[in-house]
Amino acid sequence: MARISIPTSARLPSSLRVDASHPAVAKILGHLSRASLLSVALDWLDEKNLPLATPYLRRSSDQDGADDDEDDDLNPPARSPAELQRLYSRLQARKGSKRDVLDRIIEGDWRQGLSLYQLAMADLQYLHDHPTSQKWSAYRIVPLKTQSADLDQDDAQTAVDKESLTIPRFHPSTFLKALQAQVLPDVKAHYNFDRHKDLPLLLLRIFILDSPYSTSLGLANGSGQSTAGASFDTSRTVYIAFPDASPHIYISKPQTLGTAGFGVGGGGGGESKSLRNLIVEGIPKALSRPRQRVTLKSTNLSTRNLAEILDRRGAARTNCAGGGWSIYADEKAKDTPLDIVALPTPPLSDRGSDEENSNLPETQQRPHKKRDLSPASQGEEPAVKRAKVVAQARFADTARPDDGKGEKSGEDERGWRPNVRLTFHGPHVFAGVRQLVECGIIDGERMPGWMTGEEGVTVGAVRHGRIRGHKGSGV
Amino acid sequence: MESESVSASASTSALDDEIENLQARVASLKKQLRVQTSTLIAAPSTRELLSGAPRAGKLLAQAAAQEAHNQQCLYRACASITTFRVQDPDPNAVDGGAVLGLRVEVVSRAKFLRPYYVLLNRPYPNASRHLRVHRHTVPPCIPLAGLAARHLPPPPAPGQDLARFARSLRRDIVRYHHRLGVVADLRKAAGLGREKKGTADDEGDEEEHERQTQALVGINPADAEAKQLSIEWADGRTGRLVMGDDGEILKFVAVGDNGRDRDAVRELLGGAAWVDEVVERLASSG
Repeated sequence: MARISIPTSARLPSSLRVDASHPAVAKILGHLSRASLLSVALDWLDEKNLPLATPYLRRSSDQDGADDDEDDDLNPPARSPAELQRLYSRLQARKGSKRDVLDRIIEGDWRQGLSLYQLAMADLQYLHDHPTSQKWSAYRIVPLKTQSADLDQDDAQTAVDKESLTIPRFHPSTFLKALQAQVLPDVKAHYNFDRHKDLPLLLLRIFILDSPYSTSLGLANGSGQSTAGASFDTSRTVYIAFPDASPHIYISKPQTLGTAGFGVGGGGGGESKSLRNLIVEGIPKALSRPRQRVTLKSTNLSTRNLAEILDRRGAARTNCAGGGWSIYADEKAKDTPLDIVALPTPPLSDRGSDEENSNLPETQQRPHKKRDLSPASQGEEPAVKRAKVVAQARFADTARPDDGKGEKSGEDERGWRPNVRLTFHGPHVFAGVRQLVECGIIDGERMPGWMTGEEGVTVGAVRHGRIRGHKGSGV
Repeated sequence: MESESVSASASTSALDDEIENLQARVASLKKQLRVQTSTLIAAPSTRELLSGAPRAGKLLAQAAAQEAHNQQCLYRACASITTFRVQDPDPNAVDGGAVLGLRVEVVSRAKFLRPYYVLLNRPYPNASRHLRVHRHTVPPCIPLAGLAARHLPPPPAPGQDLARFARSLRRDIVRYHHRLGVVADLRKAAGLGREKKGTADDEGDEEEHERQTQALVGINPADAEAKQLSIEWADGRTGRLVMGDDGEILKFVAVGDNGRDRDAVRELLGGAAWVDEVVERLASSG
């Protein structure tokens, strides 16, 4: 631990160790499962990460003498990282309690403290294990008008250049440098970039510490005084996700509910919000370049599901073609002008041809069939069939209960008459609406378009049957 | 016992293979049948035969549909921007749900890709001729919003130029795909994405060693529009190549251990002004 702490505006170094007895360490590691804990520990012991996650090892010089001291040690230190690696691999192979692994990490191999880098890795592992643990909001990066001379600063700040043809670009290390310059010196942050395991995303974890010191003293304050304990609150962790090849960024919302258990200060929630706002306000400035300013525009979409948000605000074709329009964005469908054999079959008409072929054996019909036709649908009532066709027409292949795009805790309210009010609430609202259409409860032909989720927004006001305030579907 | 079960499993797997083969044959025969049908039904001689025949209404309808489809395909293959009409399924859709579709064809690597679609509607009640982009499948690296703001301004502005909008949109899409193509060519010419060759024999050879450290190990697009390429050498040097809309080289910087490495730039570019020329150079030297 450094003896003197000088306030600087530098970022927190990744190698900075947090005391192993700190409640935040137990909290971050504690919510990982045993398997994840072991895989994280093995990641720490990886050659690349070892310099930032050095474990407590037995020094070779005290091989004879010091053994006596450590006889009563429940978790005797290992001699080398390789030995530890073997040990954790063995633990991985056999069954046991999570508590043992946790104790081994906190009281044994990393008793000297865990670096911020280690904590960041553990937190990211939690995010991978629980992909819906964060609520994400999508923002669009839009260019601002460049002012020829700095005549009017305020006007220059607000005017969005709608005619701009430049696509904002993003360079991780430059961005981080610029963001650091935006953060005030009395707030310290630790930044950690990581690729998402399965999705084309770059994740930036920003861990905000409310202390002017960038040494371990700033961290030690937390454990010493009860009031400063809140400085390690989970709500101080902000994730920013940068999708590949898409001018959007996704920012995680702080978990306001989680603060109650850990934060001691009453005003912790609001304070952390302002800290987060500080970071969020810094992002467009950090993305800007001289003579090329950008701003962030909310796209009225927030969800817990990263796959869904990538689908709606990602790099693919599906951004502005949701619901039934997704037939135009389907990459798998072959549509080449050289194929003059296959006559085009719109979603509603190809059912007719299926029925014509119904005298063929069932196995031969299979390839032609749409996915929604289960074997049981052979003997269905015409009305039910019709409802399914309508659902297919309105939703195409989106909004399936099993499409993994759920966990959208959306809520649609529909005021038809002053005294009629319907609320749809659940993990995957549009899949539910689709099921209602398939069951014939909602008339799929008269259902307004926004109920199919084709606008790709989670917030919006409906007027004259159309979602307002989001003109032109993202254009 | 054991040998019996082994032979049983062998026979079932043989049966499975046979079933698979037969199914593949059924599929190929069906495909052939479809090809023959569509060719026959669109032939003029068939049409002559059908026109006189009694009760050929259904066949005639199918022939007409086939002919329409053939014509559409011909237009699509030749014109690269085609239009079509769509009915918006939303009962509250503006303008009675009338939607104009633009279909932009893209050819890449001698293949027609899935076309890009832009669907336009007329939401403005007073100036009913003005169009607006309703839905589209253009990727976000194409500045569709900017193009729409320029060529399809909302009502207070007097004129909208749909043809110009479509042309400039298509130009941007095609340029984007060409850039992607040239990056792929560059990777191919540099021998990336292939299996590494065996190096055991030439380890002692100094020239070979030199060549290995000079080798390119990474060429990747660094931004959404594929205008910037990050280039990596085996010895840790990195570079950034910036190209213009049409693949002209705007800037190229390489950085090694001792700051900027102008030799590396000269060696790779050799006076080339276009990325295509770099591809040719790499292909001829490799």
